[in-house]
Amino acid sequence: MRKKNILIIGLLAALLVVLVSSFRAGAESESPAEADAARVDSSACVYPKEYMQTHHMQVLEDWKNTAAHEGPDAVHETADGRKFQKNLSTCLACHGSNRYFCFSCHAYANVTPNCWNCHISPLDTP
Amino acid sequence: MMHNDRREFIRKAGIGMLAGMGAASGILTGGGFERTTSAAWAAVPGEHGRRWGMLIDTRRCREGCTLCIESCHHTHNVPAVKSPDETVEWMHKEDGRELLGSLCSSTAALPALCNHCVEPSCARACPTDSIFRRTDGIVAIDYHRCVGCRSCMQSCPYGEVSFNWSDPRASLKNPSLDYPTRQRGVVEKCNFCSDRLVRGKKPSCVEACPEGAISFGNLNDPSSEIRKLLESSETLQRKPELGTRPSVFYII
Ligand code: SF4
Ligand code: SF4
Repeated sequence: MRKKNILIIGLLAALLVVLVSSFRAGAESESPAEADAARVDSSACVYPKEYMQTHHMQVLEDWKNTAAHEGPDAVHETADGRKFQKNLSTCLACHGSNRYFCFSCHAYANVTPNCWNCHISPLDTP
Repeated sequence: MMHNDRREFIRKAGIGMLAGMGAASGILTGGGFERTTSAAWAAVPGEHGRRWGMLIDTRRCREGCTLCIESCHHTHNVPAVKSPDETVEWMHKEDGRELLGSLCSSTAALPALCNHCVEPSCARACPTDSIFRRTDGIVAIDYHRCVGCRSCMQSCPYGEVSFNWSDPRASLKNPSLDYPTRQRGVVEKCNFCSDRLVRGKKPSCVEACPEGAISFGNLNDPSSEIRKLLESSETLQRKPELGTRPSVFYII
């Protein structure tokens, strides 16, 4: 009789464990974290400095054309295998720390790109 | 004899066609009440596994509360334009009858937003492919490409696209620095918080609602909370008869 009781209690405990773990699995699949993307900031640029000085417009043009359409799949992979989300804020995560980074050069070259018509310029941030 | 056969044939063909139409729209009509069936959120073959969707439990929505709208508009720098015929909105509240038709007995104001349709007529109409459906079901706008022709506004049957008649920055007092603004001459609408989803956050309206009336999740995942709610409740979509297959559902 006692053995039978122990068996029943054991079975109930096992059932409880299975139930609890299945509920938890359900709750976890709920998190929108499954949509998470490539990292936004890094300490090294996507291309070498010299290349970016002459070609950042082409890089940004490509990012601009693909970022919205591909959404989370718009990922830039560097030659050494690092991955970045194609987004202007990926650039500004580093370059935003110098508020004049874009402007000093653009003023010198007398160019007025229209990025800041919509994107919030580092000069406008407090 | 010949005559009877033909009649029978026409009758059967008619019944078959009606049944086919019902199945294609994902709607079964019974006793005047339209119910969304599982076909309405079934996976679209050949596409990504994910389809984001939203469920609004209107029984929990507080009268006069606009917290979801305020939070959405602040997060995405939606301009509060004064002039009533130049309003820009991503989310708004509308009379329940206007929104869901005569099946909804409530005349309380209910939240409304872009439905992120599976068959978006706005995207069909856009001549520059600026408004399009992403593989995760979000109908997004590329503001870089939009030429401001407003074809999408005309073709959205829900009136969920707004146009920037004037410089939106002039109507923004306290812009959020995490999201860009728009410029004069482009359209805008709800983006299902794609900017927040990519950072692993839930949509801002879902977080802002003090009653937890708004659920959000993957409609193609049978174990998601939104799917369980959809399967256990009677839900409505806006204008399901148009075949746009909205991803926003309402419990009334
Ligand atoms: S609700 Fe309108 S704007 Fe949104 S996807 Fe459907 S047709 Fe397009
Ligand atoms: S207003 Fe812009 S998004 Fe709308 S149809 Fe025209 S180009 Fe496309």
